[in-house]
Amino acid sequence: MTAQIEITEVTKRYGALTVLENLSLSIKANEFMVFLGPSGCGKSTLLRMIAGLESVDEGTIAINGRRIDTLPPGQRDLAMVFQSYALYPHMSVADNMAFGLKNIGVPADVIATRLSEAARMLEIGHLMERKPGQLSGGQRQRVAIGRAIVKEPKAFLFDEPLSNLDAALRVRTRVELAQLRHRVKSTMIFVTHDQIEAMTLADRVVVMNNRRIEQIGTPMDIYTRPATRFVATFVGSPTMNFLKAKMDSRDGFATLTLPDGATLQTAMRSDGLAPGAYELGIRAEAVRPARAGETVTTSGTVEVLERLGDRTLLYIRLSDGSMIVAEDAGLSRAAIGDRMELTLDGSRVHLFDGEGRAFHAVEAAHG
Amino acid sequence: MSSMTSAHAPTPASDVGRGAPSGMVGRTTGDRIILGLTIALAIVMMAPLLWVVALSLKDNKELMVSMNAVFHAPYTVQNYINILATSSVFRWILNSLVVAGGLTVGTLVLSSLAGYGFARLNFPFRNVLFVIVLMGLAVPEQAVLIARHQLFSWLKLHNTYPGLILPGLSAPFGVFLMTQYFRAIPKELDEAALLDNASRFKIFWKVLLPLTLPAQATLGIFTFLGAWNDYLWPLISGTKKEMYTLTVGIASTQTNFAQSEGLGFLMSQAVFAGAPILILYLFFQKYIVTAVSGAAVR
Repeated sequence: MTAQIEITEVTKRYGALTVLENLSLSIKANEFMVFLGPSGCGKSTLLRMIAGLESVDEGTIAINGRRIDTLPPGQRDLAMVFQSYALYPHMSVADNMAFGLKNIGVPADVIATRLSEAARMLEIGHLMERKPGQLSGGQRQRVAIGRAIVKEPKAFLFDEPLSNLDAALRVRTRVELAQLRHRVKSTMIFVTHDQIEAMTLADRVVVMNNRRIEQIGTPMDIYTRPATRFVATFVGSPTMNFLKAKMDSRDGFATLTLPDGATLQTAMRSDGLAPGAYELGIRAEAVRPARAGETVTTSGTVEVLERLGDRTLLYIRLSDGSMIVAEDAGLSRAAIGDRMELTLDGSRVHLFDGEGRAFHAVEAAHG
Repeated sequence: MSSMTSAHAPTPASDVGRGAPSGMVGRTTGDRIILGLTIALAIVMMAPLLWVVALSLKDNKELMVSMNAVFHAPYTVQNYINILATSSVFRWILNSLVVAGGLTVGTLVLSSLAGYGFARLNFPFRNVLFVIVLMGLAVPEQAVLIARHQLFSWLKLHNTYPGLILPGLSAPFGVFLMTQYFRAIPKELDEAALLDNASRFKIFWKVLLPLTLPAQATLGIFTFLGAWNDYLWPLISGTKKEMYTLTVGIASTQTNFAQSEGLGFLMSQAVFAGAPILILYLFFQKYIVTAVSGAAVR
């Protein structure tokens, strides 16, 4: 039975320092939930509180309606994959995987069956007699996941499990994890500061910052409709462009005046939006060099080029001194110092008011 | 495959040794100086030992005439026969084995438990207690000898194995070493074991303790060597002949003029007392070298 996890008004303090404050969250059964945020935002602490490795100062954590925050870690029926893998160095792979099962008195034949199934699933059958020190980083990672799988827990907890892998292996392991989650039907909570991991793996993402939750939503929801300026900044690469803008209403839609005097007609309904100063947020893919005959929104000078193969990022200095990142084709002919006319897609803009609230021109793809 | 082949092409002969870190070809002048100094130091260390062995194989009377006798035959093992003829020598060896072995096992058990406690458990005054333990390193044995003698006399522990073993069990160095070693083990291992439903003792016994084997070997070897060579406390506590340790027992067989009249016998005693340590060294050479070089403490 997989876990439906209910976190209710949880607070965590270390002495005078509060690291999580009055935080509530509901995780559905079989859901792949990713806690995403910068270092120190409290995401790992929250995971460790669910695991029982940190105490809960206030609030409750329940699994399938049963309160578990008062239980020791071993009795919560959870499995955790650590960033450092935390394999027992003196035990063989098989002993590492069987250790937890032996502790709860699982019969030897059942242990053997589960080990062989996990070994087959993770393709580590040939490693079972080796010690962790004889394995590569990727193999250790598989063993750590295998150790979790054989326990058949109600939920899997992953604490930045890909951080110690090199870039190529990280991508491969990420794909394997995505495949694994469809084979192992269970609730999974995954902590990361890597937005690509969050976007590619998650059913839903919890974006955390500064002790609290900024937004909960599907990856595309987070990307297309960031709830706060922080989320807009943290999710997406390159970072979303931000320009100061003055908003007026025209025919029921918001019209923006940029600092260099350029105007942009948006597809954002202006109902409920008070005319005045806002911050315009627009991603690089919604800013591109204007083609012949297209409406030019603004123009500037190319200062930096980043050729990424499939696309080219142009860092353009506008006449008022602000910088905007535009996206061009992979074979872009732009050169540093070029004068560039730009088209901003008015249907893909976001506005942020002085209090950080966000307003969007676009509906989320998976709202 | 072609790239593999070219990658493993033989190195040109002219390149061999150029910048090579080892081997005669790559040896620099600096290496030669270090090697020469090492050999010189080895001679300085080995010469007295060889001298002791050589003296032990000579007749006492010959040595009284001239020390140069050591450089020519005849050689004899009579001094060793005389030692073995001492009726109690095997009892003393047994005593030394019991005391050194008991002290080693006891120190390892207590230091491991204390080290785990200081490294992993939260309890009141933990840091203060750790400092107090470390302060034990600064207290010389001689400073507490009289008080300890009186205490053990009152407890009627003199001339018993516990009397010979117990004082050595207060091992601040052992506690310090094991504490540092336990601290160096990542806490994620404890946490993984906690999630694996292991009890606190099981985590200590099955997960952490096996990882401290290098430190245990280091501590065990030094404790055994120290206990085997100890003279002062066994001299005070073991006053009955059957409770002498080997060092005390052998010393008791020396006559008043041993250093002039019985030099060969004296030296054979030294060799005899040191022989078990030499055997121990041969068995645990790797661990001792590691321990001395500090490599065991990660």
